[in-house]
Amino acid sequence: MSQLIALRIRMEVLEWSGAWWFLLTLVVQAVLGPLIGMFIWSAVYPADSYVATYYVALLLVTVMTESFEQHTFSEKIYDGTISHELLRPQPVVINTIGTNLAIRIWMAAMGIPVALLAGFAFGVSLTWTAVLSAVPAFVLGATLTFCWTFLLSLTAFWTERVHSIVGFGWTLNTLLGGTIAPLAFLPGPLRDIGQVLPFYGMLGLPADVAAGRVHGLAPVLTGLAYQAGWLTVIITCAVLLWRAGIRRYTVVGA
Amino acid sequence: MKLLRLFAAGFTRSAQATLTFRINLLFDIVLSIIGVGASLATVFIVYARTDSLAGWTEAETYVLIGTFQLLSSLKNAFIDPNLSWFPENGIRNGKLDTFLLQPAPTLYLASLARSTPLSLIQFVLGLAVITLGITKQGRPPAPGAILAWILTLIAALAVTWAMGVLLACLAFWAPRLQLDVFYGSAWELARYPTDIYRRPLRLVLTYLFPLTLIATIPTSTLLNGPRVLVLGPAVSGAILSCSLAVGCWRLGLRRYTGATS
Repeated sequence: MSQLIALRIRMEVLEWSGAWWFLLTLVVQAVLGPLIGMFIWSAVYPADSYVATYYVALLLVTVMTESFEQHTFSEKIYDGTISHELLRPQPVVINTIGTNLAIRIWMAAMGIPVALLAGFAFGVSLTWTAVLSAVPAFVLGATLTFCWTFLLSLTAFWTERVHSIVGFGWTLNTLLGGTIAPLAFLPGPLRDIGQVLPFYGMLGLPADVAAGRVHGLAPVLTGLAYQAGWLTVIITCAVLLWRAGIRRYTVVGA
Repeated sequence: MKLLRLFAAGFTRSAQATLTFRINLLFDIVLSIIGVGASLATVFIVYARTDSLAGWTEAETYVLIGTFQLLSSLKNAFIDPNLSWFPENGIRNGKLDTFLLQPAPTLYLASLARSTPLSLIQFVLGLAVITLGITKQGRPPAPGAILAWILTLIAALAVTWAMGVLLACLAFWAPRLQLDVFYGSAWELARYPTDIYRRPLRLVLTYLFPLTLIATIPTSTLLNGPRVLVLGPAVSGAILSCSLAVGCWRLGLRRYTGATS
């Protein structure tokens, strides 16, 4: 299975290399939220170095974990081309994962210079130890983001407004995931809700660890456990939704 | 007059087509409300931590967000359906050829003929947010300020259209250059007071890529009353940018040789 995914990634990376201009537009759209957040909170707390450090880390996490399954997967349901993949002797999700990782590789290549530039402009210095300790939270966060977007994209079996549904998910993620404000800056009740929901684990937690905000092993392990818990829930829901959706799916033509 | 009738006919047809799909309509209404709710939540979160954001109070920021919402809805309803992906659709796929053959000005057909009336839901929500901001401020604006606000909104809309056309015109020289997505992203910077941005970026947003005119200037005019030093440059800037857009479009058309046969 990992070999199939690797092959798919290679194919998709080569395929996407011809669409660098489009990828650049995706990067610009991805960095905008963290950049605006950085400007807003830097105006509120001009002397607090945490704001810029957090947002540069968040910018990196955002560009490297963007997911577009509403385009790369749902559109196949709408135009019926998912039928071709259903006939192949491999799980359909392999191609979706391969495409997702290929796009992320390109976005990381284009987004890292933007993050470095923003870091330089705001005088940010991320420490290697903090960045390395954020890797496990980042990997789980990236997987969580993919699974969440994929779960929402599965609603394409029932409605043609999948883009609106994923847009709603994105709004929740922006509000409670740490883009509009770091979780620590949210008012009490919202912060409590944010801590329970999966969105902080997708963006804010890896960014907070990379920014050196999370001290000690215990809070990092708690964060990882909470990410793993949500991952289990979302994967279970996705499997159930896929089974129900595929039973409902019908296509005309050969 | 003929163009206005044409515009009204196109808008009516689009509205009828939109209202046919009720569930989609419901989805879009709900999503618009969520979008505005998220913007308001951002303001609420920020002002839970501070009393002033770059000199703007919470009530003033609500008015700013409402004004931004108004212009965004007009952009989404009348400008984006025509000019987004123009290099690909208009030039590379040759849709412009169809416009050239029709008995109406090509610039009108390419930039204003189609509309998405559903986006005007945001307009109503924007008005509600402005009302909320003004109520919260407790000081209703004078009639002169309202008139000047409408004038700056028209100027902002004209500049928005002109910038869209200018970016589309680039496609006559470089058909693969798709800059409207960047324009759409940069547009989001106008959602908050431009005073929050640092100096080089703020200067760019004021003079080179005048996003300050989109929400910050109209809101300041509504809240602080009209000022000749603001109104004059805003109106002359709008006239200048529209003239530039029309001129560039004509130059581009002269260069255009057609993509279809």
